[in-house]
Amino acid sequence: MANVLDLRRRIRSVKNTRQITKAMKMVSAAKLRRAQERAMQARPYAQMLTNVLESLVRRTDLFNEATGDILHPLLVEREEKNVLVLVVAGDKGFAGGFNSNIGKAAQKFIDERRAQGQNLDLEPIGKKAIGFYKKRFPAAVYEHTEELYDNELSKHIENIRHREVPIEVAAEHPTLLVKTDFEEVTKLAHSIVDRYEHCEIDSVYIVFNEFKSVISQRVVVEKLLPIRKLGSHEVTALEEMTEEQKEAAGKAAQSAGVSINEPEETEIDQEAKKFGTAEVDYIFDQAPERLFRHLMPRYVTTQIFHALLESTAAEHAARMTATDAATKNAGDLIDKLSLTMNRVRQAAITKEIIEIVSGAAAL
Amino acid sequence: MADTTNNSGLLQVRLVTPDRVLLDATATAVELPSMSGYLEALYGAAPLLAELGAGEVRLHGGTAGEQIFFVAWGFVEVLPERVTILAETALHPEEIDPAEAETELKHSQELWNEAGDDQVKYDEANAVARVAEEKLASAQGKSH
Repeated sequence: MANVLDLRRRIRSVKNTRQITKAMKMVSAAKLRRAQERAMQARPYAQMLTNVLESLVRRTDLFNEATGDILHPLLVEREEKNVLVLVVAGDKGFAGGFNSNIGKAAQKFIDERRAQGQNLDLEPIGKKAIGFYKKRFPAAVYEHTEELYDNELSKHIENIRHREVPIEVAAEHPTLLVKTDFEEVTKLAHSIVDRYEHCEIDSVYIVFNEFKSVISQRVVVEKLLPIRKLGSHEVTALEEMTEEQKEAAGKAAQSAGVSINEPEETEIDQEAKKFGTAEVDYIFDQAPERLFRHLMPRYVTTQIFHALLESTAAEHAARMTATDAATKNAGDLIDKLSLTMNRVRQAAITKEIIEIVSGAAAL
Repeated sequence: MADTTNNSGLLQVRLVTPDRVLLDATATAVELPSMSGYLEALYGAAPLLAELGAGEVRLHGGTAGEQIFFVAWGFVEVLPERVTILAETALHPEEIDPAEAETELKHSQELWNEAGDDQVKYDEANAVARVAEEKLASAQGKSH
């Protein structure tokens, strides 16, 4: 049996660990609160943009009357041959099953699509997802050509994609989650829309952890393109939280002072819902078709932006729950070790007394 | 809470960006950089939906006081007593970095050269150039 000194050392070390996990939990809770707030503050814009789009849809024909063509390329549905999947995971570990749950959901989706003979492009967002996919699948190869013409005044640039294997990593975005800057998301959305319009990809999905509140989260596979119905999220697969997970998350949130309820709608949210929907005949400063054309890519941007904000909140919530569990486990371990230490100490004392007593008796 | 039936002659003005609600105040008049030119909304204006280009939103009077925001692309809904501006980018003129705007302008010229006969790329390059030019003008206080 270990001696008292060893046990005391061990207890001290576990206590230190507990201190660290406790601090990590509080940090995660603070970050979660901030992330939640950010997601809240981003809601009015998304809502308003959707409203304008919806009101435009009511006023314009989505089909060209003469030719029957669909007005906007992002609404065109094609046979899904090349599928783009955005996988949003975290930047760091120590978040319980957060990263692996997303990885599992994504893998399931990839397997399904491969079984149907579709080609997949992966775009991991967040360092964990990048690390995971980079090891498994090769990066996409682009051939870059530049051609000068008009007396070498103009340049024609072309990037031709050469697909070698069915699953490739089309691009990676390691910095996107650091600040979740809207401008950066715009660039990503822009490149996706561009590829979709040029028929390089036929549909776009995003795998991420949806976050309503600490106890209401799920990993979803959402269809981004083609857009079938505005304002609604087309979820193709989802993974709900189990009751156990909910309970653990709820407890962690309570002890860290984070609300487990969904944030309430504020006045500005309600105002946002009314945006562009007043019962009046608006004067359109520009042709609705033109507005529509400019709005559609932005709609995709806000969808991705929102997914990233929710995922960030979910990551912090997962880390908070995980570190809370670690703190609890450390506490249990300390209790157990203290008990053993006391027993060992008592045994030593008893042994000494017996020795003294039996020594005295022998005299 | 904005009283939607107020008769104060003041417009309830909101400026919403992807990140947050930047401004919620009242004003007597708002100048807006619509795609087809500047327009000014006053109390009692006819309902209007317009796309905003790059330029300055200027507020006059009310609790907002004299305020200027540089916006690059957005939407505005004008109702008789309310103006809601949806802006993709919104900055105070003093927040603009002229050096960065210069770089953007140069970048747009490159895009312009690379566009070739692609109309879409051409339009894009023009849009980038316009934003950069307006940004510079706004930073130097020379906008319209």
